[in-house]
Amino acid sequence: MIPRYQKILFLVLLVVSIAMGAILVRLRERAHDRLLKGEDLAPTTAPVVAPSEQATLLVANDMDESLVPEERSLPLPKDAGARARALLERLLEIYASPDAMHPVPGAPRAVEQVFLLPVPNGPAGKSEAKGQLAVVNLAAAFADGHPSGIEAETLTVESICGTLHANLPQITQVRFLVDGQPRATLAGHADLSRTYLTTEAVSPRPSSVSGAKP
Amino acid sequence: MISIFSSILQRFCGVLLTATVAVAGLSCLAQPAPTPQTAGNSATAPTAPPRAPERPSPRFVVVLDAAHGGDDNGGQLGASVAEKTVTLDLSVRLRSLLTARGMQVITTREGNVSLTNDARVQIANHAGSGAGAAACLSLHASQTGSGVHIFVSSLAPAPPSRFLAWKTAQAPFVTRSLRLASVVNSAFERGGDTGETTAGPIAVNLARTSLPTVDSMTCPAVALEIAPIRGEDRKVVTEVTDPQYQTQVVQALAAAMMAWRTEAESDAQPRKAGQP
Repeated sequence: MIPRYQKILFLVLLVVSIAMGAILVRLRERAHDRLLKGEDLAPTTAPVVAPSEQATLLVANDMDESLVPEERSLPLPKDAGARARALLERLLEIYASPDAMHPVPGAPRAVEQVFLLPVPNGPAGKSEAKGQLAVVNLAAAFADGHPSGIEAETLTVESICGTLHANLPQITQVRFLVDGQPRATLAGHADLSRTYLTTEAVSPRPSSVSGAKP
Repeated sequence: MISIFSSILQRFCGVLLTATVAVAGLSCLAQPAPTPQTAGNSATAPTAPPRAPERPSPRFVVVLDAAHGGDDNGGQLGASVAEKTVTLDLSVRLRSLLTARGMQVITTREGNVSLTNDARVQIANHAGSGAGAAACLSLHASQTGSGVHIFVSSLAPAPPSRFLAWKTAQAPFVTRSLRLASVVNSAFERGGDTGETTAGPIAVNLARTSLPTVDSMTCPAVALEIAPIRGEDRKVVTEVTDPQYQTQVVQALAAAMMAWRTEAESDAQPRKAGQP
């Protein structure tokens, strides 16, 4: 025979368990709604209400493998991450235009997010790294549609790194994700698994040598 | 009595002789195997100076990596030609030219097969049996840009060390890779002038990049990307698939490898002269 107090205790515990389960499910739903709401609020284009500012875009040119600095006036948000994203969206829009010197097919929301993080410290004994690490999350549609080739992919990566550094000098390193996942190469060539130093992109490129056609 | 004594003495001598021969044989077995050098000197007077062994001159090994292959088509060149086909064509043609010039050529693939980047690097890094390959050429083709693009790893030069990290193994070779790129650039400027035929110069762009294969190679390595020749209006004048253009490219590369071999030999000469 089960004592009465044990029956009562069992019932109380059962009711508490069911209540806690219900609360947990509700909290999960609320967190999910909050995340979705946050994603919806993420700026897909630079807000028009923001004042226009001068920005320097390092635009690639396939013909001589150069990065040409171009001054553009565009509305930029105050938040550094959103600002970086707006800059890169504008840069990739230039590449998607029909008369681009570095043609890359456009994709909706080609740059999904740009996260700015403190540069992680190196191994023990090394000097402390300074600046910020920008993690650029590209859309898979953009990466999949990118022309395959060492030159084309390298120029895209370098122009992204150079544009970020030119407008946000605190960004010293850049890493890439595609749809939130690490990817080996952009379109079969340029290594996306490594961390790029923005100083590499802004350093002068070797001069090209021109010759006559065969 | 005397006969008995002599027979005992003979048997004793026979046993002694057998024992001596056995001991001598065992002592010979215990010695290390003679090298050709020591074996040749054993019969000569002990005062004769030992001759240095004649080593065959190391072969000039070139690794050709035709990019992509198998399931990986690479870029699309024109309507129906894949990058993997053009790179294989270039590799096969260049291999023939280099072999005809007395070089040892190792290719990463000879057909339409899939190869991982690591497998390509392993082939390149095992070439040259210890001495390493004299040059590693990664062959690519693209529809963007104009002329030939020469790429060297963007890794910062590093001093040589016994153990190398896989993803940055190219770092100690970057300085030599830059020199190799310069030699290849000069050859394209001259248009593959091999002394027999001169086809004219080809537009060349030099740059640095981060390629997973080249960054892991332990040899002077460059990646070459062959793009169409474009006119002033950016219109394509000569396609990558043009056989004459491809011939011109491989001739220039063969001339570059000849120049690289000459440079390597002239570098080795002072070192040899400085040896005791």
